[in-house]
Amino acid sequence: MNRLVQDIKFALRQLRKSPGFTITAIVTLALGIGANAAIFTLVHAVLLKNLPVSDPKLLVRVGDTDDCCVEGGVPDQRDYSIFAFELYQHLRENTPEFESLAAMQAGVGYAGVTARSNKPGDLPRAERGEVVTGNYFQVLGLQPYAGRLILPSDDVQGAPMGVVMSYQAWQRDYASDPSVVGSTFVLNTYPVTILGITPPSFYGDRMTSAPPDFYIPMVMEPNFGPGNPTSLLHRRDANWLYLLGKIKPGTDLKQLEAKMSASLRNYLATLPLYQRQDRQADLAGAHVVLTPGGAGIENMQQEYGVGLKMLITVSALVLLIACANIANLMLVRGMARRAETSIRMALGAQRARLIRQMLTESVVLSCLGGLAGLLVAYAGTKVLLAMAFPHAQSLPIEATPSLVVLGFAFALSLLTGLIFGVAPAWVTSHSQPADALRGSNRTTSDRSGWLQRSLVILQAALSLILLVGAGLMAKSLSKLENQDFGVVTQNRVVVHFSPESAGYKQEQLQGLYDKIINDLHALPGVDKAALSLYTPLEGNNWGEGVYIQGRPEPGAQAKNGASWLRVGPEYFDIVGHRVLRGRGITAQDTATSLPVVVVNEAFVKKFFSNGENPLGAHFGISGMESVGDWEIVGVVSDIKYNDLRRPTRAMYFRPLLQVAHTKSQTDTRSLYAGAIMLTTKGQVGNLESQVRRTLANINPNLTVVDYNTFEAQVRGQFDQERMIARLTLMFSLLALMLAAVGLYGVTAYSVARRTPEIGVRMALGAGRGNVVAMVMREAMLQAIIGLAIGIPAAWLCVRLVQSQLYNVGGHDAMVMTGSVLVLTIAALLAGLIPAQRAASTDPVKALRTE
Amino acid sequence: MAETIIEIEQLTKVFYTDEIETHALSGVHMQIQRGEYVAMSGPSGCGKSTLLSIIGLLDTPTSGRYQLNGKEVANLNFSDRSRIRNQEIGFIFQSFNLIGDLTVAENVELPLTYRSGMPVAERKKRVQESLERVNMAHRMRHYPAQLSGGQQQRVAVARALAGSPSILLADEPTGNLDSKNGEAVMQLLKELHDEGATICMVTHDPRFAAHAERQIHLFDGKVVAEGELSHLMAEV
Ligand SMILES: Nc1ncnc2c1ncn2[C@@H]1O[C@H](COP(=O)(O)OP(=O)(O)OP(=O)(O)O)[C@@H](O)[C@H]1O
Ligand SMILES: [Mg+2]
Repeated sequence: MNRLVQDIKFALRQLRKSPGFTITAIVTLALGIGANAAIFTLVHAVLLKNLPVSDPKLLVRVGDTDDCCVEGGVPDQRDYSIFAFELYQHLRENTPEFESLAAMQAGVGYAGVTARSNKPGDLPRAERGEVVTGNYFQVLGLQPYAGRLILPSDDVQGAPMGVVMSYQAWQRDYASDPSVVGSTFVLNTYPVTILGITPPSFYGDRMTSAPPDFYIPMVMEPNFGPGNPTSLLHRRDANWLYLLGKIKPGTDLKQLEAKMSASLRNYLATLPLYQRQDRQADLAGAHVVLTPGGAGIENMQQEYGVGLKMLITVSALVLLIACANIANLMLVRGMARRAETSIRMALGAQRARLIRQMLTESVVLSCLGGLAGLLVAYAGTKVLLAMAFPHAQSLPIEATPSLVVLGFAFALSLLTGLIFGVAPAWVTSHSQPADALRGSNRTTSDRSGWLQRSLVILQAALSLILLVGAGLMAKSLSKLENQDFGVVTQNRVVVHFSPESAGYKQEQLQGLYDKIINDLHALPGVDKAALSLYTPLEGNNWGEGVYIQGRPEPGAQAKNGASWLRVGPEYFDIVGHRVLRGRGITAQDTATSLPVVVVNEAFVKKFFSNGENPLGAHFGISGMESVGDWEIVGVVSDIKYNDLRRPTRAMYFRPLLQVAHTKSQTDTRSLYAGAIMLTTKGQVGNLESQVRRTLANINPNLTVVDYNTFEAQVRGQFDQERMIARLTLMFSLLALMLAAVGLYGVTAYSVARRTPEIGVRMALGAGRGNVVAMVMREAMLQAIIGLAIGIPAAWLCVRLVQSQLYNVGGHDAMVMTGSVLVLTIAALLAGLIPAQRAASTDPVKALRTE
Repeated sequence: MAETIIEIEQLTKVFYTDEIETHALSGVHMQIQRGEYVAMSGPSGCGKSTLLSIIGLLDTPTSGRYQLNGKEVANLNFSDRSRIRNQEIGFIFQSFNLIGDLTVAENVELPLTYRSGMPVAERKKRVQESLERVNMAHRMRHYPAQLSGGQQQRVAVARALAGSPSILLADEPTGNLDSKNGEAVMQLLKELHDEGATICMVTHDPRFAAHAERQIHLFDGKVVAEGELSHLMAEV
C-alpha cells in the first residue's frame, strides 16, 4: 500500500517534470473520451433507450414506418403502419396473443387542445393532446406520479370526461400545483377532470421534442382528435392510429405477424377500396410488420438513425486517432527514457519494479485524462443535445453521459496508454543494459520510429476521410439551404392557431375568419394577412388522388396524387406564389360561389403535360363521379412545401370555405384553418403579443399554438441536417487537431532526438534552409503517405454518406481538394514549429551533448 | 610563400550562465599558415574546444579579430557562415559524429549536398576519392554502426576531406580510440599533411602532439609558450 502511494507520488512527479507531454496526453484523452461519451450518450438516448415501462421486451409495435397522420388508400409497399379505429378493433379481437393491444393517435402535430385551469384569472393555453385507448397505460405498465392514469372504464360511452396530464406540462404550465389533480379544466370548451399526472420519466410513447401535454381517452376523440371537429372514429377509409401492444410471454412474433397480416386482409377485403378488380394485388400483398415496441414508436429513431450512425462512426474514428496519439506520446516518452532505464538497470534496478513504475505512470495519466474527459463529456452532451433539439420544450432526453459509455472510452484509452507506455520499458528491460549504453553512442537511428510514423500516417488518412465527409455534408447543407424554395421570407410571420379547439361550428367560420383578418389588418405595421390550412415547410401535408374530367379513370398504379391546401385571399402574395396565369384566390371565392381551384406549375406539368390549357379544366378527388367538382381558374409559381430533397410536388389551392360537391361530409375538417400568415412593414415591435391579444379579444379560447417568423420556420427544416453537418465538421476538425498534434509530437521528438545530428550537419555547412527542409521533408512524407492512403479510402467511404447528401456527388473534386489542402496546411504547421526549432539549433551546444 | 589562413588577435570568449561569467578565452593571439600542422594542447577546460569552434565558425567570439583567408568573419551573417563552413572548413570530432541513418558514402557526401550546383557525378567522384584516400572505399555501403571506432573515424576524416577545405579542424580525434586505432588515424593525418593539407588538431596526448610541426599551448584561455606552460603546470 505504502509502495503504491510512493509509486503514485513518483509518477505524479515524473509527469510534472514534463508538462508538455502530460498536457498533450491529458488533452488528447479528454477530447477523445469526452467527444465519444457525448455522442454515445445522444445515440443511446435517441436510438437505444427504452420507455420507462415495466417490461419493454414484451412491447410490440404493429407497423414499421413513420406514416402519418391521417391517410387513406393503399400504403407504400402495402405495408400497414397506421390503422383506422375499426381496423384496430378487428385486429385486437383476433389476436389473443396480445395481453393487451393499445391504439394511439399517430399525428401529434399543431392540432392541439386549448386548456384552461379552474384557477380564477387563468388564461386558456394552447397545449398538445394525444388520444389513446383506455388500455394505453396498462400496456405500458406505468404508475401515476399523482392521481391515477386512464383506465379502460374511462374509455366507454357515457363515462365522465377525464384526462391525464403529463408531468412535464404540470411542471411547466401549472407550477406543479397538487390541486390540479382531481380539478376540472376546460379543454376545447368542455369541462374535463384531470385524473392524474404521468410519471416524470415518461416523455410519451415516441421521442419528440414536443411530447403531449394531455392523454385523452379514445371515446373523447370527436372533440379532441386529429379530425376535430369531425370524428375519425367511424371512418373506415381513414387510417390514423399507431398500435402498440403487450404480448403474452413466449409468443412467436413471426407467426403472430403472419396471423395479423391475414387478419388485416380479411378486414380490408370488406372495404370498397379493395373490392375493385385492379386492387386485388394490393389486397393480397397487404401486410403488417411487427417491430420491437420497447422504445415506443420509433419514428425519430428512424429519422435520426442514419445521421447518428454516421456520427458514431465519425466519433469512433476520432477515438482511434486519439488512441494513436496516446500511443505515440507514450512511445516517444518510453524511448526517450530508454537510456535512463538502461542506466537504472545497470545500477541494479529490478525489471519488475521499472515496469511497475511505468505502469503506475500510465494509469495515473489515463486517470487524469479520464477525469478531464468526464468534464468534456458533460459539457459536450449538453451542447450536442442543444444542437440536436434546438426548439425543444421538454427535452425527452437526460443530458447525462452513461457510465457504460464513459467506462468503455476510458478503458480503451487506459489500455492504449498501458500497452504503449509499458512496451518500451519492457523492451529495454529485456535487452542487455550494456547494449543500450553502447548503442546510443554509435548510432542515432531509432527502431520505434517506423511505428510512430505509421501511427501518424494512420491519423492523417483518417482525418482526411473525416474532412472529406464533413466537407460533403457542409456542401450538401449549403445547397439545401440555398436552393430556391420559391418563398419570400422577409418580414413574414406564421401564427398557428386552432379554431376547432376553441369550439367553433362550421357555420361560424366565415364570420370568424373575416373578423380575424380584419382585426389583424388593423394592427399597426401589419401589411397583409391571410389564413390557410397550413404553410410551407412546417412539416404538414394534405394529399389526395386527382380525377380529371374528360380523362380515362386512372388505374391502381397510376400516380395521380397531388398535395393541396385551403388558402385565403392575399395568401399567394404573402408566401411568394406568383400568379402566372388566370387569377388567384380572392375574397369573392366564398362557400356559396362557384367552386374553384388554383394549381401550381408542377401540377400543370404533371397533369397537363401535353400542353392542354389547364384553365377551365375540371377535376375532383372522390373518384370519377367527382371530376366536375372544381374548375381550375389560375396557375401559380412553384414553392416547396415539404421534402426539400425532392422536386416540388403537384399542388392545388382551394378557397377556405368551399366544400366539395361529392362526398361533402369528408371535406369539412379542412375548413378549419390552422395558420395565419402576416407580412409587416419592416420590423414591428411586440407583434407577437399584439397578435395574441387580437385573437384573445375575439375569443379567449383562440390561443396561439405557435408563433414564428417565416424565416425561422424555413430554417427549422434544416435543423437535423445542420446538426449532422456541424457535428461532422466539429469532429473532423477535432480529428485534424489530434492528428496535427500527433504529427507535431513525432516531429518534435524526432528533432529533439536528432539534435546532435543536426549539429553535425550544421558543422558540415548545412544552412537553416537545409535543416528546415530536412525536417519538413520527413513530416510531409508522413502526411503525403497519409493522403495517399486517405484519398482512395475517402473515395470508398463517401458511399456511406451518399444517401445523406443533396445535389452533391460523393466524389466531389472541390471537397476532396479542399480537404487535402486543409490537411496539408495542418501538416505544414505541425511540422514547421519543430523545423524552426531545429533550424535554430546551436551547433556547438548540440555537439557538446554527444 | 607563407600564406596566412587563420589570423586571430586579442580573441576573447565569455560564457554567461546564471550570472556566472566564464572566461573561456581571454585574449588569444595566433596564426596558422597554409600547409601547417598545428597541435593544440592544454589542461581540460582551458578553452581548446571553444577556440576550435570559433575557428570553425560554429561560434562567435565575444571580442577580438578573426580573419579567415584574409577575410574578416565578424560581420558574416548566418548563411554566409554556413557556406564558408561548408567550403573552407573540415571537421573531425572526438566522437566521430557519423549519421547513423546514412551509409558511409552518404555520410561522406553530406557536406557536398549542402553545396549548391555541384553535379552528382562530381560528388560521387569526390566521395570515391576521399574514401579511397582513407582506405575505406570497400565499406561504402556500410552503415556506421557496422564499423569499428577506428574505421568510423577514418570515414569522418574522409567526410572532412571531401569538400577540399582550406583547413581541417580536429578536436581530440583519437579520444574515443584505443592506441592502435589512434595511431592509425594520426598516421592518416600526417600523410594528409604531407600531401599539403592544413590541420589544426586538439589533443591531450603528447605523443600525438609530437606529430605536428608546431604546438600551441593553451592555459586558462590564453596561449602560452611551451616553457611557460610546464612552469604553470608545476604551479598548479
Ligand atoms: N556553452 C557554455 N556555457 C558556459 N560555459 C561554457 C560553455 N562552453 C564552454 N564553457 C566553459 O568554457 C571553458 C572552456 O571550455 P572548453 O570546452 O573549450 O574546454 P576544453 O579545453 O575543450 O576542455 P576539454 O579538454 O575537457 O575538452 C570551460 O570552463 C567550460 O566550462
Ligand atoms: Mg574540449
